[in-house]
Amino acid sequence: METFDIVVIGAGPGGYPAAIRAAQLGAKVAIIEKEKLGGTCLNWGCIPTKALIAAAETFEKIKHAEKYGITVKGASVDYAVMIGNKDKAVGTLRGGINSLLTANGVKQFTGTASFVDRNTIEIVGQASSLSDVHRQDACATTRISAKKIIIATGSTSVMPGFLPKHERVVESRAFLDIQKLPASMIVMGGGFIGCELACMAAMLGVKVTIVELLEDILLLLDADVRREVRGHMEKNLGIRVLTGKALEKISADAKSVRGNFGDEVLTADLLLCAVGRKPVTDGLKLENAGLTKSQRGYIEADDYCRTKVANIFAIGDVTGKIQLAHYATAQGIAAAENAVQTKLHKHDTIVPNVIFTSPEVGTAGLSEDDAKKQNHAVKTGKFRFNGLGKGIATGETTGFVKWIADATTDQLLGAAAVGPHATELIAEAAAVIRAELTTRELGRTIHAHPTFSEAWMEAAHALHNECIHAAPKRK
Amino acid sequence: MATPIIMPKFGQMTEESAIVEWLKKEGDKVNKGDILFTVETDKSVMEVESFEAGTLLKITVPPRVNVPVQSTVGFLGNPGEAIPAATAPAPAAPKPAAAAPEVGRTVPSALPTPAPTQTAVSAPVAAPVPQLPSPISNLPSLFRISPRAAALAKHSVIDATRIKGTGPEGRIVEKDVRNHLQQHGYDKLRISPAAKELAAKEKLDVLTIQPTDGRVTVPDVQRSLAERPKPMSKMRQVIAQRLTQSFRDTPHFYVTVAVDMTELIAYRSQLKAAGAPYTVTDFIAEAVVLTLQEFPDVNSSTDGKTTRWNSHVNLGIAVSLEQGLVVPVIRAAEQLPLLELSQRTKSLAEKARAGKATPDELSGGTFTISNMGMMDVESFGAIINPGESAILAVASTQPQPVVRDGKIVVRQMMKLTLSCDHRIVDGALGAKFINGIKQKLEDIELWKRVTA
Repeated sequence: METFDIVVIGAGPGGYPAAIRAAQLGAKVAIIEKEKLGGTCLNWGCIPTKALIAAAETFEKIKHAEKYGITVKGASVDYAVMIGNKDKAVGTLRGGINSLLTANGVKQFTGTASFVDRNTIEIVGQASSLSDVHRQDACATTRISAKKIIIATGSTSVMPGFLPKHERVVESRAFLDIQKLPASMIVMGGGFIGCELACMAAMLGVKVTIVELLEDILLLLDADVRREVRGHMEKNLGIRVLTGKALEKISADAKSVRGNFGDEVLTADLLLCAVGRKPVTDGLKLENAGLTKSQRGYIEADDYCRTKVANIFAIGDVTGKIQLAHYATAQGIAAAENAVQTKLHKHDTIVPNVIFTSPEVGTAGLSEDDAKKQNHAVKTGKFRFNGLGKGIATGETTGFVKWIADATTDQLLGAAAVGPHATELIAEAAAVIRAELTTRELGRTIHAHPTFSEAWMEAAHALHNECIHAAPKRK
Repeated sequence: MATPIIMPKFGQMTEESAIVEWLKKEGDKVNKGDILFTVETDKSVMEVESFEAGTLLKITVPPRVNVPVQSTVGFLGNPGEAIPAATAPAPAAPKPAAAAPEVGRTVPSALPTPAPTQTAVSAPVAAPVPQLPSPISNLPSLFRISPRAAALAKHSVIDATRIKGTGPEGRIVEKDVRNHLQQHGYDKLRISPAAKELAAKEKLDVLTIQPTDGRVTVPDVQRSLAERPKPMSKMRQVIAQRLTQSFRDTPHFYVTVAVDMTELIAYRSQLKAAGAPYTVTDFIAEAVVLTLQEFPDVNSSTDGKTTRWNSHVNLGIAVSLEQGLVVPVIRAAEQLPLLELSQRTKSLAEKARAGKATPDELSGGTFTISNMGMMDVESFGAIINPGESAILAVASTQPQPVVRDGKIVVRQMMKLTLSCDHRIVDGALGAKFINGIKQKLEDIELWKRVTA
């Protein structure tokens, strides 16, 4: 039986960086993946959706190109080509991970892992996932021994039992592989996955209705940010947003899929279910390692990524903390370092969150509501893109950036951006919040003109009512 | 003329008190019987009512300042009425720095000098407010610093009082601050802007903050703040002072016995089922009262030269509160039948928990019981209350294997530990006394008589 210093289970955005980092530190590393390198993020999540959203945004720009003096006639969408383009991007990146793992000397196993005991893993090979993965021992059973193990098995879409099993009812993964867009679509669940795909489909001409059980969509965001996104989705993309009630009596047949929202019967060609994700632990046989799951099925890990069993670490969605790829990566690197080195350190906790709706949203640090809950004397500074030179010049004036600061110490606690390039803009905010900068410091930092990032500087000025490009607030 | 509001004297022992909170503002209408302010005494927080109606004209003593009892803390009268130009009472507990005027500065002569007598003057004169104890009250009496040095220290967020001055008469000059910064590696200090802002606001010397990861961050400052000494409540201070005095001045020794409570607990359950209110503590209290009368030496006190017998058993029963510990005292407990002793214990404990016990109900004990039976403890020793010669520590009753008639059986056992003042109680007396209690608790016929 081959023995490794570190064995990583799952090659998603948490697992493969963990394997690479452990190898960089000199460990003998193996990684086990039952499907495709890159996990949900690369194959059925972040990356493919961004390829499709980029295409949809291009089409949207073409539709509105006339205001720039460009006339385009006969623009049309060939969705199958879009899907092909998306698959190509995914394939390129998957090949990249494969070469990185190989270059770092990480041994790959394809198959489903289960614990024999806390130091032994059994891998059962699968014939179904041989496509482009460099593989070993497919269809065979292998046992390997590990000094330390990092569990990075991720999560999968929740499909409630009351949904009919029908080709017109899909979750996000299956939705990304449909070859022809429906004419109309109901999105069940107004979280960020549901909203991103709703925007993408709407831009490509699909008639979209979102049904959210709670009182609003994107409830993790501050109300002002939510209002901006929802307003744009409803007015400019023509998405119908229904909230506060469940979608009931769902049925599907050869012609359509139907559901009741209160008294109204909604009918569409397709139902996309995006109501949340659940941890993947099936078949792991955690009990053989002495591990137990939390009540909600997660493998609990502390800020050092340690589980309750000394030699086993857990990272990413399966830990049930923040379900974001980059958070999993940060956890993965910390877990690898803590597994290999003797001095432990925690993973970082300032996590930027990005949502590729139209308009885009980026947040970092505390939201206004959270800051208030933590008893900060909260002060906010906001600046709208319609007051910005670059925004007006490029015709991208929707939205704003907002700083959330502690009034007594002037510390930047959090930030939100909604509007053009918000997902890129949030990087600066995350860096300065982590560095514990004050709004005064940020306001003094010179930002290049004309750029969208100037909005951060203006918003920092606005917090002290010292904005150059906005009228003073009356007291 | 305005009527002065007087800080009342709570109990015979109270010499000074601090206002916790004014419930009326200056200018508020006050009815007779309205609560004006709350006061913290050594034992509890008390409410102070107004004896007259009128308008609260002036508050002369702000909260959290200790003043002697009977001093004026404010004035009541009709709006616009003249206030006597009385000096506000000097804060009690003299602190040299607070009392000393700021060195190197003359008091501007324009300030009205308080009139020495309590005569009315035509115009209202603001009574000077006693100085609040400030964080810099521990300044050396000769703290001199140049304005430039002070500005640099403030800008650098460091504590200037740690610097040794080299200027005239030890005055700290800018050079001293610079040297201090250099010696303490200020140029190597890495601190986040928000952390520095927070330290400045909280007047924390950044050189004293320990960074976690080479750089001082907000959590590091918060940790330092949490570690900063905070004043204890008045109650805790009194507990600290009294127990330290007792433990230092009284030579303690301890005697422990195990009491078989099996029968008494069974009997108590019977009584309870029949509707009688007795608790186990009541039986212990009664056993103690009876035994103290057999051994008056234990119900006495000494100063090391004389002993004083107490003719009554004033039984203290320790009650734990969230913010500390109080000992309500049942006076002349030997005169009370068990039922009344039980009711008195219960009502006094409730009063004490609600913070409503008067200082006189919380003093004057001759013997104390401390019961930790509910706390799942095997045994413990208590510290004698000053002025008493012993204290009884009651531990939890637990099923234990014991030997009866040569056989091991399971009985409900409770450990009692008597702490004795060895100046007045010797080992033999302590042993006899505590066994007296044990015998009574185990004598079920006694309880049948007492509760009949």
